[in-house]
Amino acid sequence: MIRFFSNVWDSFKEYFILIILIVLGIILISLNQKPAVKSVRAVAFGTFASVSSLVSDVVNIGQLKSENLRLRERNAELMLQMNKLREYGIVNEELKGLVNLKDTTKYPLVPVRIVSKSLSTSQNTITILGGAVDGIKPGMPVINDQGLIGVIYSTSNDYSIARTLKNMDLKLTVKDERSRLDAIMKWNGDDLIMINVPKTFDIKPGDRIMTSELSSIVSIPIPIGVVMELTNVETGIFNEVRIKPYVNFAKAENVFVVKIIESKEKNQLELNFFNRK
Amino acid sequence: MRSDYFIPFLLFAVLLILQTTVVNLISINGIVPDFILILLVFYSVKNNQIYGMILGFIFGFLFDLITGSLLGSSVISKTLAGFTAGYFSNENKREFYLSSYAFPLIVLLCGIIDSFIFSFFSSSDLRSSFVFLMLQQGVYPGIYTAAISMVVVFFMPKRSFI
Repeated sequence: MIRFFSNVWDSFKEYFILIILIVLGIILISLNQKPAVKSVRAVAFGTFASVSSLVSDVVNIGQLKSENLRLRERNAELMLQMNKLREYGIVNEELKGLVNLKDTTKYPLVPVRIVSKSLSTSQNTITILGGAVDGIKPGMPVINDQGLIGVIYSTSNDYSIARTLKNMDLKLTVKDERSRLDAIMKWNGDDLIMINVPKTFDIKPGDRIMTSELSSIVSIPIPIGVVMELTNVETGIFNEVRIKPYVNFAKAENVFVVKIIESKEKNQLELNFFNRK
Repeated sequence: MRSDYFIPFLLFAVLLILQTTVVNLISINGIVPDFILILLVFYSVKNNQIYGMILGFIFGFLFDLITGSLLGSSVISKTLAGFTAGYFSNENKREFYLSSYAFPLIVLLCGIIDSFIFSFFSSSDLRSSFVFLMLQQGVYPGIYTAAISMVVVFFMPKRSFI
């Protein structure tokens, strides 16, 4: 009997080991949301990020010149826009005062640098130099001058991992700036799309898309991209809206984390994916 | 013998840093080569199938842990890639596989399997057609990785020290 098992093992040991390893892999998938796994992950990427940030510094030096030039140009454009917005702001303050609305326009920003990127087609993530000691928490949006980049997923003391918009696990409620219609946006591995958009919705190519105040993850208006086209138009009752993001994820280097002061009352009421105890 | 266990992890650390910092500079339409896979295939062919599977498992585990991917997705894909690469670990043909055009072809095969399995486990959207998913998330990254792996063939040392 023992000899039989020994022979079977000798003949098929590679397959047995393969099955054991795959089962272990599947068990690991089921453990993803366990707090212990999250803690181990925070230590692992925190340690790794401190090394990769050195390499990232060297790589980024070459790109600084071109980025500086682009930023100067952008600064000039923003200066012109800001003047215009300042006038609108004054009028807005007056009008808000008249109708007694609370001011929600000030968001504290934490400037951080991207130290590494995992550019997989479905699980795009970035590691940033800024963590719990800077007040960064899971669920906070990551932005740059062009728009929303992603949402913080996990933090260690000095580093954080953010899921970018090109991550299938990140789904956001977004809004068409012109028609004020909301929909769910996600990454399908190829494009950013708004899904299950009724054909009666007034969404057209060229419309600006931004985050919606209905979102339980990012509830402040941050630009995301522009509508490229509507697909699945012929069949069914829903359209899919393809969005071209404003942000170039591959080139993003210096970003900001928006430290949104969460409303505990609102969080308790809503089903929030990033809700914490 | 000890170096068989130590050097792959040293190279893994170096390649993982490159994978997460430099690789975006050479991405084509968001498709990037997988340096870790090239290392895994090399050592799987150089040693044997069991070594390749276990190395793939550990590489995948560390990769998932560090990059924030779904823990377990790379574990399974890299284990299967190591298993596939291990089929080419024939003592008589090992030298040929590692230093000829065969190596990029093995990387291509393993790359397609690795990318496809990784996407399968980490994607929630399975509405796309199978052929499209295979092409977009399996074949293209596999071809790019295979092209980059030609570097290994060109610089493969005649007297092996790794």
